[in-house]
Amino acid sequence: MAYTTDANKKFQKELNSGSASLVLLSILAHADEPMYGYRIAKIMEVNDESVPMMKQGALYPVLRSLESSGLLESHIDPSVSGPPRRYYKITKSGLETLKSWTKIWDQTKAFVDGILKGKTDV
Amino acid sequence: MCRDIREYLAKIEKELKGCDPALIQDALSDAEGHLRMALGEALLAKPSISETEAIAPIIEKYGHPEEIASAYRAIESRTSPALSVSRVKETGSSWARFFGVLAEPKAWGAFFYMLLSLVTGIVFGGWAIFAGIISLCTLVFIIGIPIVGLFLLSIRGIAFLEGRIVEALLGIRMPRRSLFLDTNLSWKEMFMAFIKESLTWKSLLYAALQFPLGLIYSFGIFLLFALSLSFIGSPVLELVFHLPLELFGPEAFTPVWLLPFVSIAGFFLLPLTFHLARWVGKVHGKYAKSMLVRA
Repeated sequence: MAYTTDANKKFQKELNSGSASLVLLSILAHADEPMYGYRIAKIMEVNDESVPMMKQGALYPVLRSLESSGLLESHIDPSVSGPPRRYYKITKSGLETLKSWTKIWDQTKAFVDGILKGKTDV
Repeated sequence: MCRDIREYLAKIEKELKGCDPALIQDALSDAEGHLRMALGEALLAKPSISETEAIAPIIEKYGHPEEIASAYRAIESRTSPALSVSRVKETGSSWARFFGVLAEPKAWGAFFYMLLSLVTGIVFGGWAIFAGIISLCTLVFIIGIPIVGLFLLSIRGIAFLEGRIVEALLGIRMPRRSLFLDTNLSWKEMFMAFIKESLTWKSLLYAALQFPLGLIYSFGIFLLFALSLSFIGSPVLELVFHLPLELFGPEAFTPVWLLPFVSIAGFFLLPLTFHLARWVGKVHGKYAKSMLVRA
């Protein structure tokens, strides 16, 4: 049982490491305005109540990585109710990347679904 | 299980031990900002629960310290400072290495940093020295305390900005997030936190020293660069445009037989200037990191 739990965790982690960037880009592409980390985490929480895709704290380094790759841009704004917040916005290059990543995701999903349903044509 | 945010942050710091201090500062800043926002919301929704009760599920969602530390480590290994990997491979003959510095982005970054330090030195250093003296003088009045507090806050801002310039031009990893400022603290507590933290005073000293350093860097590098170019172009300057280099006194032209040697000296002085810039950039980057990043 312990092995299964560990293996599940490992599998989930490996799956998440690739899809986290895609999810974050997609959230920001659909947003009407720039968003800060905590709000993005809340959106993910609402859409992923059963098994959280990733811990909220793991969001921040991914956001930073996307920013340093030029897929996101950010600015800091003061907040009336707390500390200044860093707002993220998707860039033009981020939108283009999202488009191609979505295509890759669809292809991978179709392939994996096919195999899982027993499609083994040679 | 962590009972409060401080304990949780201490655990993250422990997990990240040995990593770049700038990365640790960023991770702590991200975590503190997120957790305080979530805690504020939780206490607002259920005022009857204690802070310890409220923080447990928040930390659970945020992630265990070891998970978060490993996420930061993994991303950091893929996100290096702008110029950190751009150094030209040090292979080939010593001549190629000597002149190859001119094609090295890191040397150019250091060169521009030194030129820019004229502006940053005057602005940052000038502000640290003069605004510092003025705010200290106001301490004799009761209004002086908030003025000193604001001044120290501005020094933190300058430290962050300088860190970004250092990372962009010198390729040294510096904090990418400003330090978290707990707005739940009273003005007095915030002021005391600023006073007690050595980073505030080190940042102030750094900003003040940027004034003389900036002048030395910018004038030094500009002088060497201008000398190199004028040496290289000396035959054209003296023989075609009749502009004396004045190497042998005011208005004195260089003997014609000496001009090719002066020109060759210029070709050597230019890469030497860039080697010097790269070395200064490396040393200054280490110094900036020791002064502007929380140890």
